[in-house]
Amino acid sequence: MTAVKHVPIVKKHKKRFNRHQSDRFMCVAPSWRKPKGIDNRVRRRFKGQAAMPKIGYGSNKKTRHMMPSGHKAFLVHNANDVDLLLMHNHTFAAEISHAVSSRKRIEIIAKAKKLGVKVTNPKGKVTTDV
Amino acid sequence: MTSVPQIQVFSVEGKADSELPLPDVFRAPIRSDIVQTVHAGMAKNKRQSYAVSVKAGHQTSAESWGTGRAVARIPRVSGGGTHRAGQAAFGNMCRSGRMFAPTKVWRRWHVKINLNQKRFATASAIAASASQPLVLSRGHRISSTPSIPLVVASSALPDLAKTRAAVALLKAVGAYSDVVKVTKSRKLRAGKGKLRGRRHRQRRGPLVIYDPATDGKLLSKAFRNIPGVETCPVTALNLLQLAPGGHLGRFVIWSSDAFKALDSIYGTSTSPSSTKKDYSLPSAQVTNPDISRLINSSEIQSVLRAVKGGAKSKRAGGQKKNPLTNRQVMLRLNPYAKGYAAAKLGQAKYKEGKPERADASFHNVLKSA
Amino acid sequence: MSSATYPAPADLLWEITRNNTSFLVKRKTAGGIKLSRDPLNLRNVHSRKHSGAVNDQAIGVVPSDKGGISLLTKKKSGATITHSYKPSKTSRKSYLHIVNSTAKKGYRPDLRGDAVARASALIRSYRKPVKQTPEAQPRGAKAKKNAAAAAAADL
Repeated sequence: MTAVKHVPIVKKHKKRFNRHQSDRFMCVAPSWRKPKGIDNRVRRRFKGQAAMPKIGYGSNKKTRHMMPSGHKAFLVHNANDVDLLLMHNHTFAAEISHAVSSRKRIEIIAKAKKLGVKVTNPKGKVTTDV
Repeated sequence: MTSVPQIQVFSVEGKADSELPLPDVFRAPIRSDIVQTVHAGMAKNKRQSYAVSVKAGHQTSAESWGTGRAVARIPRVSGGGTHRAGQAAFGNMCRSGRMFAPTKVWRRWHVKINLNQKRFATASAIAASASQPLVLSRGHRISSTPSIPLVVASSALPDLAKTRAAVALLKAVGAYSDVVKVTKSRKLRAGKGKLRGRRHRQRRGPLVIYDPATDGKLLSKAFRNIPGVETCPVTALNLLQLAPGGHLGRFVIWSSDAFKALDSIYGTSTSPSSTKKDYSLPSAQVTNPDISRLINSSEIQSVLRAVKGGAKSKRAGGQKKNPLTNRQVMLRLNPYAKGYAAAKLGQAKYKEGKPERADASFHNVLKSA
Repeated sequence: MSSATYPAPADLLWEITRNNTSFLVKRKTAGGIKLSRDPLNLRNVHSRKHSGAVNDQAIGVVPSDKGGISLLTKKKSGATITHSYKPSKTSRKSYLHIVNSTAKKGYRPDLRGDAVARASALIRSYRKPVKQTPEAQPRGAKAKKNAAAAAAADL
């Protein structure tokens, strides 16, 4: 169930890249858009401006898509999907799809426990007391 | 040339009672690219035209106000006394404007496909339907089927009028589990298609191919209410049924007469087709498609030159191992290492404690120089 | 089930089924992973080597009833043969059965390790867990305070 040993996960930029001036105007959403203007200071990478996303921020290929536990997520919809991870329980963790009922979630979690597969969201819809 | 394979023929009770030679159409090259393009074209040929009204969004006498009024230069509805006056019109960005690039009924709905290509695709799909891995990969449940291609004796088929008898036949030849799969797969369709006569979607089951001349027409009525099962006369094979979605490997149940008729309909490697004018079966460009076997054959290997530069992956003296971390390698290099470690000579000095401090005279000599 | 036709070569079959087959399970997470539901696929990965439908020879290890395992192999005609092994005291015996009837005979020796690994994983899944998972401890000041309050209320 524990993940295989791996090189430390390094995130080179942990903060989100927000769109330029999204902090100043309600109508400018924070979702990233590359500035295209001829005078834009963010585009021209002036000192003190917001950083733009670029390929260099990419994660190490060995730790890409990895969760802090060292697993990668695999979306499962039913107990049969968990079977696929029998030989991958050190690299992949099952993530139960959002539309699965609590009755079937219990089946999935039981199967995963049997096969030694980690479930990333075992508590969703299953624990009742708040 | 290899001998022609013999295919078992099963009775309606599911017993193998005779054999038939495999028709030559099953040797046609399996070309998924051709099947896909032909299927894409054929699937378009049943479409009906639709379009928005040509007048939609243009039933107003709007004119642009021009510059100087501090509003956009889009055409605006003239007049007054109603809210509509002065509102923008025509443009695709306008409320009650026309859509962008309004759809026209004269869109190119249908696609012409060359006849030879269509025949190639059909032959290819027939050949693929005899490949067990492809039928499995298409998702058909054929584990209890005695043989692929599956041929059923024609003798009892003209009397097969009842669906109950058809179901019994499917069960006898191990094809019913595919029907069960279809029944279980029936789901409500997502979207508006529900309201347009396409309420449910389900998988495709086996395709029963018969010879209308001898097997009669009762058979198609017997099968038509079984979910997913389709019937098709061998004289009018349809690619949309042989390779649904352009995916090769439909599970086909042949009547023995239909199976026999394939040689005259598609021709053989020696004789042309009797029903299709000037048609002979396609043959593969490469007669042996098993490329790895070709490359590794002695004929080809004998004329190849040696690999240039030799193998690069191997080191001259085997893998290098670090004697400082690998004890066995260390012992090979330095047999004394064992005794050294056993006597703990490496830690000896440490145990003795710090060396004695030199007296002052030593320091004086050192500094006077 | 048998197939007595002109067999299509495995390379061609793989090219046809590579992008789309009923066994293929694609996910967009983890960089677009592709797994396979093929029972004759030991590692459940969608690849030429492990594909069971495509290769002339393939091995599968699947659970059978009563906690045993079944070894699946492919005949030349394409039919699948099943050998079932009852649960034995030592799992090594099952591995020996598997290796002796496949890799030792020159039947897909490249899959020896995978076959044993899968059998081992299946046998392990039948076992009862040795160690119960410890109950989750409350983390953080607030959670601890709530837990303490709940314990006090029970008394």
